Amino acid sequence: MSLEIISLGSGLSLQDGGRTGWLRYGVPLGGAMDRNAMHAANRLLGNRSDAPVLEVLMQGAQFKVTEETWIAVAGANSCPQVPAWTAIRVLPGQKIEFSKKTVGQASSLSPPSTKDRLEACPTEGGLFSYLAVPGGFVAEQWFGSVSVDPRNGLGSPLKKGDALEAMAKLPNVTTDGVERRLLVDEERRNYLAKEYFSLLPGPQFESFSPNAREAIIVSEWVVSAQWDRTGYRLEGPALEVPDAIPSEPVIPGSFQVPGNGQPIITMVDGPTVGGYAKIAVLKDADRDRLAQCAPGTQLCFQWAES
Amino acid sequence: MQVALKAYGENGMLAHSLSESEREGLCQALLHERPPGCAEYVEGYDTVLFLFKQPTAGPELATWIERLESGKTASAIGYIHEVPVVYDGEDLQSVAEQTGLSPEEVVEIHSAPTYTVRMMGFSPGFPYLDGLDPRLHVPRKDSPRTRIEPGSVAIGGPHAGIYSVASPGGWHLLGRTDVQLFDPGAARGDSPDANRVFLLSPGDRLRFEPVV
Repeated sequence: MSLEIISLGSGLSLQDGGRTGWLRYGVPLGGAMDRNAMHAANRLLGNRSDAPVLEVLMQGAQFKVTEETWIAVAGANSCPQVPAWTAIRVLPGQKIEFSKKTVGQASSLSPPSTKDRLEACPTEGGLFSYLAVPGGFVAEQWFGSVSVDPRNGLGSPLKKGDALEAMAKLPNVTTDGVERRLLVDEERRNYLAKEYFSLLPGPQFESFSPNAREAIIVSEWVVSAQWDRTGYRLEGPALEVPDAIPSEPVIPGSFQVPGNGQPIITMVDGPTVGGYAKIAVLKDADRDRLAQCAPGTQLCFQWAES
Repeated sequence: MQVALKAYGENGMLAHSLSESEREGLCQALLHERPPGCAEYVEGYDTVLFLFKQPTAGPELATWIERLESGKTASAIGYIHEVPVVYDGEDLQSVAEQTGLSPEEVVEIHSAPTYTVRMMGFSPGFPYLDGLDPRLHVPRKDSPRTRIEPGSVAIGGPHAGIYSVASPGGWHLLGRTDVQLFDPGAARGDSPDANRVFLLSPGDRLRFEPVV
């Protein structure tokens, strides 16, 4: 055993690269919402990039270390107390706590791993943090993935008191190597940075009016309070909506536009087919950044250069 | 054959506006082989989505499709699933009223055809069934139910279907079956067998047998 769950906080699940090959049976992709951050956490420990990690939603999750191990945290987490985007050794009895600080608040600099309680607190925006252990977490697979989908009866959700085990005792790199491993600055993401999201035309792009196509890129959109792992609804000017289409496959990142003209961006647990016209689809890499956008975040889109 | 293709995302190509025979030819070929580099494919109503491991090369897919012939080939699997149904659904009466039929006639018409699984989606194992008699084409409900039990036999628009997991839904409920369409327990492991997890696959045929 490596970690015991003391509190689930806002939401806690095991995730990996998701399920492949089952879309045509209606099984969503699943997996980490921010693959980039999951990859970063895993790579810091020498794991394969999609080894099972803990996906921590916002704040409140707490763990007790029950056995010496290494952890790496990436994503919506940048508290210097647990140097995020890097790996540290943790000792039995230590607590790991994900607590949210006010955005932009300066964090005190204190040396890591000397305190009883380590706080991992997001200060650079974002919704999801990823915690990796050596080799990944031991967990049962459904369709070749540890990703849990409670709506569809896949997997057993984590609960308070669960003991989580790392697949390996030690990182798959020399100990010294891990302790001195940090992600280069360019790869650490600040989720509050205003950046454009790049779009490709969706399958029904041509069915939308010129006004609607223009509105997608010239208007400012806001992530609504209706969001989860199936999709993020946007608020903005109501787009003119073309007729519904015969149900067709939907991939994550798609902007489906229902009758009210407010796009829904499909995410990894979203339905695999749908009948709403799709005006656009996010560039794959930008879906990871979108996943980290909390409700109220203003978004600007641009058409990708092809 | 030649079909209309367009890019969908970086790694996807959507064959769209397919005629019945184009779709048939494509789906049957895909049971036996895949285009080079194709990670998976998904059937839609008049579409087939191809997802590739790499950003796509549309011309290669077009070349692969060119060799295929449209229409049915002789290789179709010849069995039919029989699904026993207790026709006591909450919407049987209202469907009868909307269609000007008696509930008995609705049951008779619904259980007469041999249906084909056109596609799956909405929930794991949920079949969109082709073959519903046009007399039973009823628009979906304006306000969906918040919870429909798995095994509920339903109709919506031109399709018949069976709810595979508990979920919200806007189709009209005609009855229920004990047959399990999706067994999550059988999905455990690294590479589960689709035949053990799902009762049906796209392209399968089925008939509803009224249970008295």
